[in-house]
Amino acid sequence: MAVAKPKQQRLVLALAAVAVLAAAGVIASFALQDTAAYFKAPADIAASPPAPGQTIRLGGLVKTGTVTRPGDGLELHFIVTDMKADTNVTYRGLVPDLFREGQGVIATGSFDAQGVFRAQELLAKHDEKYMPPEVAKALEKQGHPVNAS
Amino acid sequence: MPHLPFIIAAYTFTLVALGGLLVWSLTRMRRAERALEDGERN
Amino acid sequence: MAASDLHALANPLRFQRLATALTPWLLALGLGFLFVGLWQGLFVAPDDYLQGKTVRIMYVHVPAAWFASGGYLGMAIAALSARIWRHPLADLAVRAIAPVGATFAAICLVTGSIWGRPTWGTWWVWDGRLTSMLVLFLLYLGVIALTHLHEDRARGLKMAGYLAIVGTINLPIIKFSVEWWNTLHQPASIRLSGSSIHPDMLQPLLLSAVGFLLLFAAIVLVRMRTLIAEQRLEARALRRAARAG
Repeated sequence: MAVAKPKQQRLVLALAAVAVLAAAGVIASFALQDTAAYFKAPADIAASPPAPGQTIRLGGLVKTGTVTRPGDGLELHFIVTDMKADTNVTYRGLVPDLFREGQGVIATGSFDAQGVFRAQELLAKHDEKYMPPEVAKALEKQGHPVNAS
Repeated sequence: MPHLPFIIAAYTFTLVALGGLLVWSLTRMRRAERALEDGERN
Repeated sequence: MAASDLHALANPLRFQRLATALTPWLLALGLGFLFVGLWQGLFVAPDDYLQGKTVRIMYVHVPAAWFASGGYLGMAIAALSARIWRHPLADLAVRAIAPVGATFAAICLVTGSIWGRPTWGTWWVWDGRLTSMLVLFLLYLGVIALTHLHEDRARGLKMAGYLAIVGTINLPIIKFSVEWWNTLHQPASIRLSGSSIHPDMLQPLLLSAVGFLLLFAAIVLVRMRTLIAEQRLEARALRRAARAG
């Protein structure tokens, strides 16, 4: 409908559009940073180890058979692997429901002086496979577990 | 974590958003097409 | 479709008649498929071996994502038609699609966030997939804002069109972010080579997706009818003013 809007309103709308564009650009560059990688894999860590205390995100699979709660049980220990390298991780705090052996995990934290990765936050990462529980169990019985690490 | 509230929230938002979009677009359409018809008769 | 048919569509009156005939069918079928798909998804489909019940959010989140992106491509093609071939309905198509695509993008982002909290453990991360989908939503808003420059409608539409076209660079980023970069969001479950979704879950997903697609098309046609009617009202008002003057 042709409604004559004052020049002011037109300017506001144009500025809004520019702001949206700018926001999009800023978000994209801020969020994606240099490599657009959301996390580093254990092999990346092995190739160029970050300085102790530097906060990074470490991602990979939770290595089967490595999840333990030694001592008083308040600290979670496990190994993150990408099938090329392993990294030891310790964590205190809430663990996501989907955290389990053979599934993906993204840990935010830093390496301590002893080279152990101390995580501040854990996120569970799942793969693109979806199936009912019976199917997963059947696959496991056949020796083809859905997630193997 | 209980799953149900999340499922309900997601579906509710979807149906409200789609429903709202439908109602808004159909209302505007009826208004415009009716005005067109009225104008033609006059 | 023959070239003559395309020319017929270029005629707003003919298009309006075709759209009027199609709309009730698309709406009815769209709602039908949507409700059957979502009913199956909520009450019939199995839980996921890993996620349990929460996987049911997939049946609203995934189709919304697909058609938010697909709709953007359609909008960009329309914008290109407007700029290059000056197709009379092309600018209307840009205006018709934008709010629909924006709504689908919002549904994708909100349902995705809701899905992420109990599964990943977070409402949001700035990974490649989520960030590019947010950019898609913002691009839609930008196009909508630019098409509302009433004082200089033609210029606003031109700028909206350029924004739509330039923004298509975001589409391969959305699609391939999960393949190119380390992301929290998992890679595609449905590819040309096949799907990694169990048939009992794939079926409601596809039914729901058909519903979403038909509704997208239906609402775009409703918007086209609206814009064509408004355009004709405007033309008539101008003619009457000219005669009176």
